[in-house]
Amino acid sequence: MKRSSKGKLTIVLMSLIVLSLGTVLAIAWAEAEPDRADKTGFREVLVGLIDSIFERDRAGESKPAVVKTNPPAHRAWHDRVASARQRGKETIPLVKDVFKETASERRARLAYRLRPKDIPAEYNFFVMNCPLVNEEDDFYGPVRFMHKKHASISNDCSGCHHYRPNVPDASETMRCSACHQNSFNPIAPDRIGLKGAIHRQCTGCHKKLHRGPIRCSSGCHEKRVRDHTELVELSRKPDALEVTKECLRCHPAQGEEMLSSTHWLWKGPSPFTLGQDKRVDMGKATVTINNFCVSVFSNWPRCTGCHAGYGWKDASFDFTDKTRIDCLVCHDTTGTYRKDLKAAGMPDPSVDLLLVAKKVGKPSRKTCGNCHFSGGDQDFVRHGKLNALLDFHGSSCDVHMGGLGFQCHDCHKTRNHKISGRSIALPVAEGSRSCNHCHTDAPHQEKSLLTHHLNKHSDHIACVTCHQPVYAKYTPVKTYWDWSTAGDKERKVKRDEDGMPDYAWEAGDFSWGREIKPVYAWYNGKVKRHLLGDPINSEGVTNLNEPAGDIMDRESKIYPFKIMGGTQAADAKYNYLLVPHLEGVGGFWQALDWQRSFASGAEASGLAYSGEYKWVETAMYLSLNHEVLPKVFALSCVQCHESLRNRLSCGRCHQDKRGVDFRELAFSGIDEKLIHLTRKADRSQINETDWLNFKDLGYKGDPILYGGRFKKLPLGWKVASQKK
Amino acid sequence: MNISRRHFLGVAGGMISSAAAGNCKKVFAARQPKAPPNPYGCVVDLTACVGCRTCEQACNRVNHLPPPKERLDDRTVLDQKRRPSTGAFTVINSYYSGRLDEQNQLVPTYVKVQCMHCQDPACASACITGALSKKDNGAVHYDKSKCVGCRYCLVACPFQIPAYEYFDPLTPRVRKCTFCYERISMGGKPGCAAACPMEAITFGNRQILLEGTRRKITANPVRYLNKIYGESEVGGTSWMYISKDPFEKLGFLSLPHYPMPHLTETIQHSIFAYMWAPITLFAILTGAMWKINPEQINHAPGFQAQEDHI
Ligand code: SF4
Ligand code: SF4
Ligand code: SF4
Repeated sequence: MKRSSKGKLTIVLMSLIVLSLGTVLAIAWAEAEPDRADKTGFREVLVGLIDSIFERDRAGESKPAVVKTNPPAHRAWHDRVASARQRGKETIPLVKDVFKETASERRARLAYRLRPKDIPAEYNFFVMNCPLVNEEDDFYGPVRFMHKKHASISNDCSGCHHYRPNVPDASETMRCSACHQNSFNPIAPDRIGLKGAIHRQCTGCHKKLHRGPIRCSSGCHEKRVRDHTELVELSRKPDALEVTKECLRCHPAQGEEMLSSTHWLWKGPSPFTLGQDKRVDMGKATVTINNFCVSVFSNWPRCTGCHAGYGWKDASFDFTDKTRIDCLVCHDTTGTYRKDLKAAGMPDPSVDLLLVAKKVGKPSRKTCGNCHFSGGDQDFVRHGKLNALLDFHGSSCDVHMGGLGFQCHDCHKTRNHKISGRSIALPVAEGSRSCNHCHTDAPHQEKSLLTHHLNKHSDHIACVTCHQPVYAKYTPVKTYWDWSTAGDKERKVKRDEDGMPDYAWEAGDFSWGREIKPVYAWYNGKVKRHLLGDPINSEGVTNLNEPAGDIMDRESKIYPFKIMGGTQAADAKYNYLLVPHLEGVGGFWQALDWQRSFASGAEASGLAYSGEYKWVETAMYLSLNHEVLPKVFALSCVQCHESLRNRLSCGRCHQDKRGVDFRELAFSGIDEKLIHLTRKADRSQINETDWLNFKDLGYKGDPILYGGRFKKLPLGWKVASQKK
Repeated sequence: MNISRRHFLGVAGGMISSAAAGNCKKVFAARQPKAPPNPYGCVVDLTACVGCRTCEQACNRVNHLPPPKERLDDRTVLDQKRRPSTGAFTVINSYYSGRLDEQNQLVPTYVKVQCMHCQDPACASACITGALSKKDNGAVHYDKSKCVGCRYCLVACPFQIPAYEYFDPLTPRVRKCTFCYERISMGGKPGCAAACPMEAITFGNRQILLEGTRRKITANPVRYLNKIYGESEVGGTSWMYISKDPFEKLGFLSLPHYPMPHLTETIQHSIFAYMWAPITLFAILTGAMWKINPEQINHAPGFQAQEDHI
């Protein structure tokens, strides 16, 4: 009896050990390099299971780039947005009796008990859309309220949570609608309703601090567009110009605004181009050149397939003709509007224009993306940061658009059809946007030992440098384009594992990359720009644009860039870049004859062609301002600062203090999560430090050891002598 | 604010005639106040109004008027000192009392203008057909079917509120804020008050409102002047205002604290008492005719010709 029970026990123990070992092995297997592991269904199930336990997301990781219908979704964030929306709609029982105390008593008492950092994650932000507020009218969309950010900035919970329920065990803080509900409530006649309470609280503080929006739709709300179904009067099958005419019937002023906009003219003032800052005629339509399709001249009907107008098919297009504006490409809400990309901006014939016209509304990620996601001829080609995935939820792709559901115009504020924001690749700008417009110059607001250090960094480093450690996270992006090999119709096209072609006879050789580590450079917002007709660099690569900046320039910060390389044609005698004419009569695609193509392109662009060409290397800097990642995916201290790697405490600079977990502070965000992101990136970097490469940026080495650009640690100022 | 010609004529004319009548005491004493006992009211907190004009938009919507001509974000109209009109029963005007903010900028105060719904309304008492009447819920209500278009109400109103549809030759109406009569009769709120994002307009039982407002003023003596405009002006109004700045600087008239019908009815009653006015009028007219120079009559071309004839 005894022996057999012992035996049973042993068997149970053994099987337990085997089981747990098996689980550990299985997790290890699932976590291992996915490329090498075989992709069985079981493994995927396991990965999903682990992810759901650790609330991790790797959707899109192993999916081919061409699959656009499978949005990556970061569960935790997604849930948070959904629950914020849900909470925003709730109403709760009214708190009738509040505990009376003076403002200073309450402030003092709360300061002991509550810190902004104690705010639980699900209360980080709210989508305020309470039916109590909308019962009279609903002209404005809901407000996104960044609760934790406000709490951190004011650092005083009692400012808004000015009373508590007069019940001992009630929560110290309640949502606004616990006390403020219907206006003119006879039960609580001295209490204003929710609508008034929120508006007074917000605008009161914003006015007092001269911070934050105070007008309805200048930052808090989005104004709802009236339903145009009944307003639009059109025939059953209108043509595109008829639709525009109908729009202009009621919106003539908006038509005028559009005529002077960059999206219409493709040229405009260039305040940020070095040496050209007084010009008002710079842009794609006039002087810029790139290493994708090179130039608009002679290639109109195709390039202008993305123009916000109809029929710009040659140089004679009339830019004063309002009736040729394409209103629908920006104001479509049906998602069905498409341009025929070869027809000078005309809509695809299959689009139901009547339906689209009746459903016009605010622009969205989709409408902006119609053109901006597919720069360089199709989605995923040009930017490495703007692609159709941004139209789906998922903060592991972009914290604003994916995580919080921002539309493009939430940041790119638009006035009179002039859209703020600019790109380093193009000179025109109708106002600029940067992270600190919302996040301030001290963007880290948490009460944490790191906050001070991180905010110091923002004087020298752009937000995206840490918050976008790699680009082209989920989709491949073109990194090199060699025009010189174009024209071989026989050549067999090879595709990489993402399905991207290495060659096209119309365009030449391509290289693609994915999860790429950016190139870092000092940038003060100004750009050196190579214009049509400028002499090329005879000694090497010609930079078509280049960020201006210097380690010793206080305005400069370190920014990440995508570098797009190219081989394109230059005039062998005159030494400037040539414009190839591609489609149509005289175009390269028709006759496969570069001579004719360049001659025709030169004629259209007004440059002389000597009759001889050569292939030269060019490069473009493209900024990486989208696909911003939340802090859990940002670079950690150790990832750049070698000197922190082997330390165990903050004692190098600070008096050592027990209870501070140095490793948690300095290593957070590093390795594991980034490894998942950089599955294909140069993995040797992952456990290395010096991610930015300090020497390349002009430092002697890790600034903790060698001193910063203006200041030497730990104490004392000095003029940095480590200039390049 | 300048007193307009119409107002001057209305009040000054009345004063002169009543002074001329000399014997109005009897009529004063005879008149009974017509205020309903338990009306609704509104208090506009001028310190809370931000001049967003949402109330204008809402008023036009609930009264089926065309939307305001000027775009809501056009803030230049606030400086135009508009008056309520046939197309806008309420308007927001801005006044600068001289108060400066921390940037040394003048601080505007926005004043919502609409019919005050006087407790004992001059317009209704001037109305010869009873088209305008004070309802129990506080609204001064206009019944188009009774209106003959005499426009006495326009002259009588001390706040110059009613507007007349002069452009409509067939069915012109007197237009003014209705206190959203239908809505509040059905237990709703006035459109403007319900829409105001700042809840600058508080709607409720006038008596309870007054008590609450007094409590508010006592609790915030820095924020509010110790005065509720409309509490007793012209005998009390259903719409009342509280403010930080003196009301005279915000375009509010200093009006007597007794109901205006005392004046208007006095005027009317005095005019027709003992038929003295018609008699006087005819006497004056006769005198005037006598005064006309007979020589001038003689020099008229017709007489001349006759003379020639003779
Ligand atoms: S404000 Fe004028 S129109 Fe309105 S109730 Fe008083 S007297 Fe009549
Ligand atoms: S009470 Fe009604 S009619 Fe009067 S101003 Fe307000 S919304 Fe207009
Ligand atoms: S809606 Fe309210 S805050 Fe806006 S103007 Fe009218 S009274 Fe003032």
